[in-house]
Amino acid sequence: MTRLLNAEHLRASYRTPDGREVTAVDDVSVYIDEGEVLGVAGESGCGKTTLGSIISLTARPPLYVDSGTLEIDGKVQDLGGNRQVERTWRGSIVSFLPQGAMNAVSPTMRVRDLVYDVVRAHDGSIKKDEALDRARDRLTSLGLPARALDAYPHQLSGGMKQRTVTIISTLLNPRLLIADEPTSALDVSSQKALCDMLLEMLEKRIIYGVVFVTHDLPVLREVANRIAVMYAGKIVEIGGAAELTERPRHPYSAALLGSVLSPEPRYRRIRVAGIPGAPPNLANPPAGCRFHPRCGVSYPECHTEEPPHVGDELRFSKCFWAQKHPGEAVPLQKVTSDDINAGDITADGYVHGENEPEDATTTTVAEVSA
Amino acid sequence: MKISNLTPRFWVAAALLGFTLLLGAVGPYIVNTDPNAVIGGLYDPPNGSSIAMWLGTDNEGQSVMANLVYGIRTSLWVGLVAGAVATLIGVIIGLVSGYVGGYIDDILSAITNIALAIPTLIVIILVSVALQTRTPTILALVIGFTAWPWLARAVRAQSTSVRTREHIDVARLSGARSITILAWDVLPYLLSYVVMAFVLQVSAAILFEATLSLLGLGPSGSVSLGIMLYWAIAWGSVRTGAWWAFLPPTIMLSIISFSLLLLQSSLDEVFNPRLRRGKLRRRRAAAEERADSQLAAASPQVGEAPAIETPVTTGGGR
Amino acid sequence: MALARYLGRRAIWYVVVLFVALALNFYLPRLVPGNPVDAIVANLTRGGGATGEAARETYETYMREFGLDKPLWQQFLIYIQNLFQGDLGTSFAQYPASVNSLIGEALPWSLALQIPAILIGWIVGNALGAIAAFKGGWFDRGAFLSSLFLTSIPYYCLAIVLLYVVGVQLGLLPVGGAYSFGLSPEFSLAFFGDAITYFWLPFWSLVLVFIGGQAVGMRSMAIYELGADYVNYGRGLGLRDRTITRYGFRNAMLPQITGLALSIGAMIGGALVTELVFSYPGVGTLLFNAIGQNDYPVIQAIALLITLAVLAANFAVDILNGVIDPRIRAAQTGER
Repeated sequence: MTRLLNAEHLRASYRTPDGREVTAVDDVSVYIDEGEVLGVAGESGCGKTTLGSIISLTARPPLYVDSGTLEIDGKVQDLGGNRQVERTWRGSIVSFLPQGAMNAVSPTMRVRDLVYDVVRAHDGSIKKDEALDRARDRLTSLGLPARALDAYPHQLSGGMKQRTVTIISTLLNPRLLIADEPTSALDVSSQKALCDMLLEMLEKRIIYGVVFVTHDLPVLREVANRIAVMYAGKIVEIGGAAELTERPRHPYSAALLGSVLSPEPRYRRIRVAGIPGAPPNLANPPAGCRFHPRCGVSYPECHTEEPPHVGDELRFSKCFWAQKHPGEAVPLQKVTSDDINAGDITADGYVHGENEPEDATTTTVAEVSA
Repeated sequence: MKISNLTPRFWVAAALLGFTLLLGAVGPYIVNTDPNAVIGGLYDPPNGSSIAMWLGTDNEGQSVMANLVYGIRTSLWVGLVAGAVATLIGVIIGLVSGYVGGYIDDILSAITNIALAIPTLIVIILVSVALQTRTPTILALVIGFTAWPWLARAVRAQSTSVRTREHIDVARLSGARSITILAWDVLPYLLSYVVMAFVLQVSAAILFEATLSLLGLGPSGSVSLGIMLYWAIAWGSVRTGAWWAFLPPTIMLSIISFSLLLLQSSLDEVFNPRLRRGKLRRRRAAAEERADSQLAAASPQVGEAPAIETPVTTGGGR
Repeated sequence: MALARYLGRRAIWYVVVLFVALALNFYLPRLVPGNPVDAIVANLTRGGGATGEAARETYETYMREFGLDKPLWQQFLIYIQNLFQGDLGTSFAQYPASVNSLIGEALPWSLALQIPAILIGWIVGNALGAIAAFKGGWFDRGAFLSSLFLTSIPYYCLAIVLLYVVGVQLGLLPVGGAYSFGLSPEFSLAFFGDAITYFWLPFWSLVLVFIGGQAVGMRSMAIYELGADYVNYGRGLGLRDRTITRYGFRNAMLPQITGLALSIGAMIGGALVTELVFSYPGVGTLLFNAIGQNDYPVIQAIALLITLAVLAANFAVDILNGVIDPRIRAAQTGER
C-alpha cells in the first residue's frame, strides 16, 4: 500500500480579537494510504474541522497554522509562519468539500461558470467547451444529470447540490479529498447517495484517498476504512473502522460509541448514555490526559502525565488504561450524571480543585471560529 | 442592556445629543433674551458684550444666540412629537396587520404600500401648502401622520413572525384578549426595533421640518433651525459673509443629524448581541445591519428627501 | 413567462398608486378655504398688477380651466383630462405663462446638475467602498468614518459651508445663479464655459454627500461578501484571488445598481434646497418661488412630476432586479 498522506506535527491556533490564542489542533499526525477513507470523528469543538482545513490548505484568519509538514504523494509542503502555499496545490493535489454546499457556489453564478473558472485556474489554455465537456462526462459517469451544470445554485436541491459540489471539488482529480461534514445537512437517502459516490470515485481512481470529517459515527462505520477519534485538539485513537467501533481502546471512543443511537437490532437493547460534562476550555486545557475529568476509568497518572502512545502508527490509542490493558476493549463508561451531582466533577468537565479556570467563560473552538 | 456593551460610538452620539438637548432645554434661561427682541442692527458681528451678542444679530437685528437656543427647542419638539406620532401609528398598524391577518391585514397592507410608494416629502409639502396656520405642533403632526408607512411594514413583518411562536398560543389558550396579547407578548419582542425606529423617525422629522422651513413652509410665528437658515439664505448672509447668521443653525442641524444616525447604528449593536463581539464579528454583522436596513431603506433619510426614501421593492403588495 | 406576469401585476399596482397620488395632488391644495381664484385675483388687482378688465379675464380663465363652479368630481376629471393632454395648467403667479413652459425652463438645469453628480458619485463612491473593504486597516477606517460623516450631513448644510468657504471667503467660484449676468442660455462653447464655473459648487456639494452614502453601503456589502462561503470554497479549489474578488463584487453590486436606479428617479426633487442655496434656476427654485406666491398649479405640477419619476424608477427597479439577480427572479416568480 503506497502512502498517500503524511501529515506530521500539525499545530494550529485561533487568535481571538482580544489577543488570546487558543490551540485548536495540538501536535496531530495522521497517515493515509492509497485507496483509504479515513474518518475523523469527535464532538463539536474537538478540532476535526480545523484539522480538515489545515490538510486541505484552506485555513484562514482567525485560524493560523503554527507548524507542521504535509507530504502528499511525495510532494512536501511545510506549514506555519509566513510560508506560502502554492496556489495550484489546492484543487489539484488536495481538494476540499465544504460543509453545507449550500453556499459554496456564488448565488449569482451558474455552476458551469464556476467549473470553467476552476479548470482554467489550473490550465490557462483550456477552452470553455473542453472544460464543460469534461465536467459533463464526470457528472453523467457518476449518475448525475448534465443539466446541473446550467443551473443556478438555488435551483438545485440540497442533496443534488452537495453531490454537484463534490464533483467540482474532484474535477481536477486531486489525490486527496477532505470532506467536511458532507452528510450533516442531508437526509438519509441523500447521505447514502453521497457516500456511494465517494466510494465510486475512489474505485475509479478519480481520487486516491478521502478524509471524512464528521460527528456521525454510524456513517463512518459504513464508509470509512479507518477512524481517527479526536478530543480537545488531539487524536486519541486511530484504528480500523469495524474494529474501533466494536472494540474501542480509548475511554472517549467508547463513550462516543455508547452515546450513539443505532436502530440495528443487535444494538437496540444497549442503553444510550451521554457523556457528562463538556469539552474543556482549549485556552486552558486540563493537565495530563485531556479527557481525564470526564473519564470513568482514569488512573492517578492520567491527571498529571501525558498519556502514552499505545500501538503502531496505523492503530493506536493514547491512554494509560490502554497501556495497562493491552488489546482489550474499553467497557462502557461508568461515569453518569450521578457522579456529577455527587460533586466530584463540575458541569464543565473539571474535577474539583484541578485546573479550574479563573474566569467562568469557556471558549470552545466552535465559538471562536464561528 | 449592559453598560459594558456600549461602544465609544454610542457615547459620542449620546454626548452630542445631550449637548443639543441641554442647549434647547436650558439655553433659553441662560441667554435670557426674547428671540424676537431687536437688540441690534442688520447682521451685527458677534462681540462679547452679552451672551445674547455672542453670535451677533440676524437680518432683523435679533439675537442669533437667542434664536438659536429657541430654535433648537422648536426643532427638537417637532422631531419628538412627529417621531412619537409616526412610531405610534406605525407600530399599531403594523401590529394589528401582522397579528390579526386576514382581510384586515389586506386592507391595512394595501394602504401602507400605497402610502409608502408616494414620496413623503411631496405629501407633506402639499398638505403644508394648504394649511392656513402652521404651528410647530401642527407641522409635527403632519410629518408624523405621513412618515409612518415604512415602520408599519417592518413591524408587520416582525409581528407576523412572532405570531407563530408558541408562547402566543399559550397566551391565547389561557384566555387573554388579543389586545393584551399584543401588548404583553408580542410587543416586547419588537421593542428593540421600535426604539431604533423611533430614533430614526425623530432624526428624519427634524430634517423634514428643516427642509420645509427652507422651502418657506415652516412654522409661522416661531423660530426653528430651519427657519433661521431660511432667513439667512433669503437675506444673503452667506454672500455677505455674515457667518454667525447661517453657520450656527447649519452646524446644529449637522450635529443633530449625525449624532442621531450614529446613535441608531450603535444601539443596533446593543440590542443585537450578534453584532457585539470583536471587530471581525462587528464588521461581518455590519452587513447584517445593512440587510436589516433594507427595511429601513424605506425610511426617510431626509435632507433632500425623495432621493433615498423610496422603498426597496419586494414582491407584490405584501 | 412568470416574470412577465409578475411585472404585469406590478404595473397595475403602480397605476393604482398613481391614481391615489393624482387624487392627493388634486385634492390637497383645494383644502385651502375659500375660492382660490378670488384670492389670486384680489392679489393681482391690489398689487396694481391688473386693471378691472384684465382681472375679469384672469378670473374667467381660471374658472373655466378649473371648472370651479362645477362639482368636485367633474373638476377632477377635467384635471385628469388635461394631464393626458400633457397640459399641466397655467401659472397663477406668472400668468399667462403655462406651467409646462416654466418647468421646461427649470428642469434642464436640475437635470444637468444632478445627472453628473449621481453618476460620478455612484462610481467613485462604490469604488471607494470596495477598496476600503478590500484593504482594511487604516485606509478602511478613515474612508469609513469620513463617508459616514459626509452621508449623515444634510445636502444643504454641506452646500452652505462650501458656498461660504469657497465662494465667499476664497472667492474662487461664483456664489449664485447658473450663468453670468447678461448672458442668455444657448448651446455655445462660450456659454458652456461660463456656466461651468457656476456649476462646480452645487455639483460638489451633491457629489460629496452621495459618495459618502455609496461608499458606506458598498463597503458593508463588500465586507459581507468577502466573508462568504463561496469565497473560501473558491480559494480551496485554487482559484486566483482576483477571480474570487470578481464573484464577491458582482454580488455586492446588485443592491447598489438598484440604488442607482432609485436615485435617478428621485433626481427631480433631489436637490431642492441645494438649488436654493446657490440660486440655481432649477426645479427647486421654481418650487420655492411658487410656494411663496401660492402658485398652486406650479406646486401641483412639480409634485406630480416628482411622484411620477419616483414611481417609474421603482418600477424600473422591479424589472432590473428580476433581470439581473437570479435569486430575486426565482423568489418573485415562485412566490406569486
